[in-house]
Amino acid sequence: MNKRILASMLALPLAVSTAYAQDSSPVRISGFGTAALTWVNKDNAEFGRPNQAHGADKQPTTGVDSNLGLQADYTVNSWLSVTGQGLVRKDAQDDFGAELTWAFAKARVSDDVSIRVGRIGLPVFMISDYRNVGYANTFLRPPAEIYSQIPFNNIDGADITWQHSFGDTTYTAQLAVGHSKADVYGGAEVEAHDLTALNLVAEHGPLTLRFGRADTKISVNHQTALNTLLGSLRSAGAGYNLPALTTLAGELAPERKKGSFTSVGAGLDWNNIVAQTEYAKRKSDSYLNDTTSWYVMAGYRFGKLLPYYSHARLSIDGTVANTVPASCPSGYPAACTATVRALSSAVGTLKYSGLGQGAQTTDSIGVRWDFYRSVALKVQVDHVHPDAGNGLLINVQPGFKGPLTVGAVALDFVF
Amino acid sequence: MKQLIKASVAAAILALAAPAMAEVVVVVNPKAAESSMTKDQVAQFFLGKSSAMTPVDQPDSAPVRAEFYKKVTDKDASQVKSLWSKLVFTGKATMPKEVADSAAVKKAVAADPKAIGYIEKSAVDASVKVIYSAP
Repeated sequence: MNKRILASMLALPLAVSTAYAQDSSPVRISGFGTAALTWVNKDNAEFGRPNQAHGADKQPTTGVDSNLGLQADYTVNSWLSVTGQGLVRKDAQDDFGAELTWAFAKARVSDDVSIRVGRIGLPVFMISDYRNVGYANTFLRPPAEIYSQIPFNNIDGADITWQHSFGDTTYTAQLAVGHSKADVYGGAEVEAHDLTALNLVAEHGPLTLRFGRADTKISVNHQTALNTLLGSLRSAGAGYNLPALTTLAGELAPERKKGSFTSVGAGLDWNNIVAQTEYAKRKSDSYLNDTTSWYVMAGYRFGKLLPYYSHARLSIDGTVANTVPASCPSGYPAACTATVRALSSAVGTLKYSGLGQGAQTTDSIGVRWDFYRSVALKVQVDHVHPDAGNGLLINVQPGFKGPLTVGAVALDFVF
Repeated sequence: MKQLIKASVAAAILALAAPAMAEVVVVVNPKAAESSMTKDQVAQFFLGKSSAMTPVDQPDSAPVRAEFYKKVTDKDASQVKSLWSKLVFTGKATMPKEVADSAAVKKAVAADPKAIGYIEKSAVDASVKVIYSAP
């Protein structure tokens, strides 16, 4: 997508907002943003949000946690509305780029049922739709341990939502179908075909419970290093007549492979107690790891100050078995054994390389201060412990040893 | 003289305290089917949990607004704002329509059988129906 065109589209609502500011107008312009500085305590690894090409090093940077979103809602009539939202942030490319996050038409079929068509949020997480809206969240950024596990923000398709209150409990059921594509740092691209996502939410007073399930067929395109490895496996399989290698290449290859994501979540905002937790299982038929990820966050509100603590963990449940033999049968050329050993070690590193691959734990403490109407200041310190491999840290240099401490100060606002 | 000062100080304190003491009532169109609601039912509409009725808000600076949210939703202004920003930026709902004052709320409610608003108790008249009184 042409970024310059998108950027000017983003500026457009600002220009019209003055003309249509009156409440009687059918166009509503609203926005959110975060201005932040992020840094780490070591100089041989970087910390970034999931899918960022570059992260924070010892020099404080605005690139990791800052963003700006603008949204226009146009009410056509009592049952039809149109919404567009653009977001500027640093992602897979190493500059602030604009993306079209939502663009959909919403029809209210009845008081309880609505249908949306277009580009809509992918409802796989508790806070999937507003994870980029710092002001709407307690923590400074969503825990990467779980939010790195699905690289898609939105889907092109449709959803149907049913919402009804029985007594004091509100139930929401949402079913989305569509297709999604996301750029991944390093030039690759992930694609979800035939995506379905079910999202069930129950809200009772201060308590929110959620269940989600998404099913899709995943492809990872243009991932050069992976394609080279798969090519080597296939040619060694054919050249040395080792069919196990060819079979393994087929199992690893991310070409329309089945994938699923099942998650539960709970949120509590009771008197001064604030808590939120999510737990998710990812399953995949390709080289992408089967994982378990979760976090628990709890805070206590002292007037305008809300200190909080969170603990998050990503662990690997399973991968495609590495069936590369340790050596070639006797009588094979000596080069064969050297080749299969190199292939075996390359296959072995797959579970630690690429987007969302790896395992790590993070402990975070922070405070949110609602010091002014529609503006909040947050300070957060994370202690990141990568497991084997580099966890979710990026651009890690040889010799790095965890843990890594990350500091951040952010100003969240909405307008 | 001393008594006069005392009296005017007392009057000033009363005047200062008066806006915060104003009783808040929730009003709907006289044609609306509901004759009363619980606190939680009212809160649903103003916290975006139900779209069966259309909430009408008062300005951020109006004391009756802070009073209403504190008493009916148990939340302060920034908590309510944070909650709404979740709904607005997911495209699930738009912020409640804001009108200038209690007179404008009555006008909006009188014109729409699905509208629900809040005003000072002293502003109630025949154009609206009270369905909830904050204690």
